[in-house]
Formats: sequence, C-alpha cells, structure tokens
Amino acid sequence: MTYDDICQFLYTEASLLDTRRYEEWLELLDDSLSYRMPVRVTRDFDEPDDIVNDMTFFDETKRSLTTRVQRFRTTSAWAENPHSRTRHFVSNIVVEPGTSEDEAKVHSYFLIMRSIRDRADVEQMFGERIDIIRRVNNRLQLVERTIYPDQTVLSMLNLSIFI
Amino acid sequence: MANQAGLDTSMLEGVKDKIRRGLLPQWAFTDSEIFKAEVKSIFAKTWNFLGHESEIEKPGDYVTRWIVHDPVLLLRDQNGQIQAYLNSCAHRGTKLCTADFGNKKTFTCPYHGWTFNLSGDLIGIIAGNKVYGEEMDRSQWSLRKIPRVESYQGMIFGSLDAHAEPLETFLGDMKWYFDIMLGRSDAGMEVRGVPQKWIINTNWKISADNFGGDPYHTAMSHRSTVELGISPKDPMYASYGHQIVLDNGHGINMVTALGGAKVPPYQGLPEDMWPMFARNLSAEQLEVFENTMIIVGNCFPNLSFVSPMHGTGGPDEPLTSFVNFRVWRPVSPTKIEVTSWFMVDKEAPEAFKEASYLSYIGSFGPSGTLEQDDAEIWTRVAEASQGEMAQDKDIHYNNVLNYLMGLDRVEPDESWPGPGVAYPTCYLDAISRAFYEHWVDQLLATADIPANVR
Ligand code: FES
Ligand SMILES: [Fe+2]
Repeated sequence: MTYDDICQFLYTEASLLDTRRYEEWLELLDDSLSYRMPVRVTRDFDEPDDIVNDMTFFDETKRSLTTRVQRFRTTSAWAENPHSRTRHFVSNIVVEPGTSEDEAKVHSYFLIMRSIRDRADVEQMFGERIDIIRRVNNRLQLVERTIYPDQTVLSMLNLSIFI
Repeated sequence: MANQAGLDTSMLEGVKDKIRRGLLPQWAFTDSEIFKAEVKSIFAKTWNFLGHESEIEKPGDYVTRWIVHDPVLLLRDQNGQIQAYLNSCAHRGTKLCTADFGNKKTFTCPYHGWTFNLSGDLIGIIAGNKVYGEEMDRSQWSLRKIPRVESYQGMIFGSLDAHAEPLETFLGDMKWYFDIMLGRSDAGMEVRGVPQKWIINTNWKISADNFGGDPYHTAMSHRSTVELGISPKDPMYASYGHQIVLDNGHGINMVTALGGAKVPPYQGLPEDMWPMFARNLSAEQLEVFENTMIIVGNCFPNLSFVSPMHGTGGPDEPLTSFVNFRVWRPVSPTKIEVTSWFMVDKEAPEAFKEASYLSYIGSFGPSGTLEQDDAEIWTRVAEASQGEMAQDKDIHYNNVLNYLMGLDRVEPDESWPGPGVAYPTCYLDAISRAFYEHWVDQLLATADIPANVR
C-alpha cells in the first residue's frame, strides 16, 4: 500500500460521493466499518480536550449507512430532492503505519462546499478525518473513519451528505 | 407599495381574529417588527430552557447558553446551588466565559482582569485598592444574575423577568406530561455528552409549530421512511392517539397505534424498569404512557421535544425509543440556532442507553433521516414568506395560511385521563391555533408596541 494508492483511494471516494454513486461508495466500506463524527466543543485553555466522543453527528455501521443510501434512492427524501451539489476537497494527507502491513492510519483534511437549489450562498463544512484503511484481497477498504468537524455550531442546515 | 406600517394593537387584534378562524397571516413568520416585538414581549418575559441538571452535577461545573441574544453562564456553586449569570463582565461588558462547558472555581475576565467566584462576587481586581481606593463597594459589581432560575424534573429554566410567574405555574399541565417523559425513573434523566448545535435558515415559530402541532406532516415530509418500509403505509399512522391543548401555549401529542392496537408497553423501555415507572407515576400517567408510541410537542415558546420509537436499519430491526429536547433559538427573523439534547433514564441498562442514542442519531439531529427533510422544508417556508405578497399586511392578496384542520369539527374527548383539552386525533391544528393565539396575546399584552405607529 503506497502513499499514492491511498491518495487515489481517497480521491476516488470523494468523486463517488460528489457524483452520488453511493452504491459504489458502499463497496469501498469494510463490513466491520465504524463511521463516527463526534461533536467539537470550545474548551477553556487548561481543558484542552475539545472533542466530545459521547455525542456525535454520525455513529454508523455499514448497515446503517446502507439504509441512509437507500433512503436517498426513494422519491421523497426531500433534503436531496432535488439533490444538493457537493465538492469534497481532500488534502494534507499524512499516512502512519497501521497495526499490520496491510493497514494504514490516514489523516486528511476535508473541505466540503455544498450548493443547494437556486441559493447563491454556499454551505460548507471543514475539518479533519482519521481513517483506518486496510488492504483486503488486493483492494483497499475503509475500516474506520472518525470525522472531526472544526465548527462547534454546524452552519449546515442538515447532513444529508456523507463526509 | 407594500404596507409600511409598524405593528399596532388593532393590527395584532386582527391577527388574533384570523387565528381564531384558523388563518395565520404569512407575514407573521418573517416580519422584522414582529421579531423585535417577540424578543421583548415573549422571550424577555417567559421561562427559557437553559439546560439539564445532569450537565452541571458538581460544584464548579458550568455550561454557557443563550436566551436569544443574552449570553448566559449557568453553573453549580460551592453550595451545590444552581446559578445563572449574564455572561458579560460587570466592568466593561466583555463576554466572560467563552468555553462551552467545564469546571472552574473562578472566572477571570481577559480585558482588565476582574475575577468573579461561583457566587458571582467580584473577588479580584488588578491593582484593586491602588486604582479604586477603598471607596468602591465591590459588592455592587458582582456578575449580574439572570433574574429568575428555577427547575422542574431536572430541567433548568431562566427568566429575564423578575416578576415572571413561578416556573411550575408557567408549565401548568405540561408538568403532568413532563413527569411521564422525565420523572418516571427514580433518578431521573441524564444528558449524554453535550447537545448538538446547528443553524437553520428558518423562523423559530415554523419549527416550534411543526413539533408542537403538526403530526400531519409526517405522512408526506417523512414519506421516504414509508417507502423504505420503516414507517407504516397508512397515511393516518401519526393521527392515532390524542392531541392535547395545554394552557400558556403549550401542546403535546400522544400518538398510539391504530384503534388501540397493542404496542410495546412504555415505548419498549426494558421490563426491569416498569416497576419503577409504577412507583413514580400516577395510575392515569402510567396508563397513558403504557399505550403511547410517540410523544411530540412544544413548551411555549421554543422548547420542543420528541420521544418516538425508531430504528437505524431496515423494517426488520427493533425500534428503540429516546427522549430529545431542543431549543429553537431565534437569531434573526429567518435564522435559528438549534441546541438539541439527547436524554436517557439514568437507571436504564447500558445496552438500552446505547441503542436509544443510536436511534436518536439515526433519525433526528442534522444527520437524522427524519430531520434532514424537516430542515430543508422549514427553510423553504421561510424562503417563500419574505416577498411583497406574503408580507402584505392588508388584504390585497390572500396571504393567510391554513390552520383550519379540525376547527369546529373535532370535539374534545372527555374520557382522556390526563389534564388539558384532549382531542381524539393528532391530525388537527388545535395546538397550532392555541400556540399562535397565545403568541399574539403575549405581543398584545406588552406596552412596548405603541398604538397606531405610522
Ligand atoms: S471588561 Fe472585564 S475586566 Fe474590564
Ligand atoms: Fe418532521
């Protein structure tokens, strides 16, 4: 698993999300996937832990993500009907060794720009993701993703997207 | 040209008359004069939800919150008493505490260094006596208290009005229903983690009215879950049960299954907990709770709650209930900041707590499969309510919205065991009409709106 392999994997994933090819995206997810987005908080200077893991915006398995995808395929998921347009910008990718040769711990920054209907204002969200990516049968799979948003108050009206 | 008039009492009387006839002028949602009047006449007078006692369990625990535009520092002092202060330094007004939560003995202002203790006393001034001498009475420069702070079932409310009626009087018959949601267990509820917070471009009344009085929207707004087989196909499914109009603009819907069909008792809460419910609730409360599937409502003005049963997977997965309270904080006529607390019985088994939390995350909050669509639709209401036709205050256009459901058609069910005026269906605009009537009464009650301002 080279650095290039990992970049290619994350960029391909971003492209699948932006084109809403969600069924193909699900294929990149390992069956044991843990997909979480804990809440960011502002803490005092001497209380530095500014992530609250007990509360999240996503705490998903592959099964629950599949349900979310199926919902977007109905005719009445109004948040995405008509669908919003997103760009997932993924950068600052840093790779650490994982627990085995076939596994890597991957840090990346994300910036999501989102356009909704005819609205000229831009919804955005940004932060960092820490992923565990594993090679299974010569394919890369996402095993774990933790999404750390930078905003303590999300400025997006809803999260009818994946991050 | 559109009407340029400000608010006057005769105009508000006209609004009240329309509301009684099941009509709401569309301009009421986003009119900027209405917004200013609401802040002064409603939010500065009423009881505003600040937080739950479990969020500040130990002395020195604090959280920061808002009452509309007033920053609030809510904490537990050295004596274990709950205190709420304006989160603004008594010296020159700097926002004192900027953290969301934490534990402290003192708060020091970064501007000139004045320090306050948990009782709000000014206990430290940089170069104190050298610059102010002995003559400045420090006790005059304490943190300013939120005039009234009271709790019910662990729910802490604050009022900016020193003469506000007692919290329990304000809650009135809502207490009976809060007992079911919050007081059924010996040790009460706990907030998990911190509340989620996010922004929606809508008006606070639109979301409050949706939770308070609009089970009717579920069949269409949440049709995706019907298509998925998670919600029943029957378009009347959220209508079964009772819509209960309470005093002071509060309202609650106790949704059951069709024709009293058997549902998991007590919203599927673990059987081990049932004896505890029997201890803490009256026979009538217990009976109502046993048969209820979904509890959803609004505590006037902007504290909404929902306790449904929901799953995270497909139709074959078990449904788990949760308790969720949220404040729709008005930021502007077309913007709210939502603060949403997930709560669970302290004594529930860990496995239930976890399932309940996952059920909440899956269905409500900004990522929730139900709430995603609510937020989108509420922004569309605000978006389409700001133009000349919607904002017109005369009757040039038919700019009234429809709150006619059940008006003079549905009679109260006298056999309802609980307090309030209970109607035998939840597809009804009775709560919405009562909400808006109370809302306009609050606006009318204030002297801040001069008669016939032109
Ligand atoms: S404003 Fe706080 S010390 Fe001066
Ligand atoms: Fe809804």
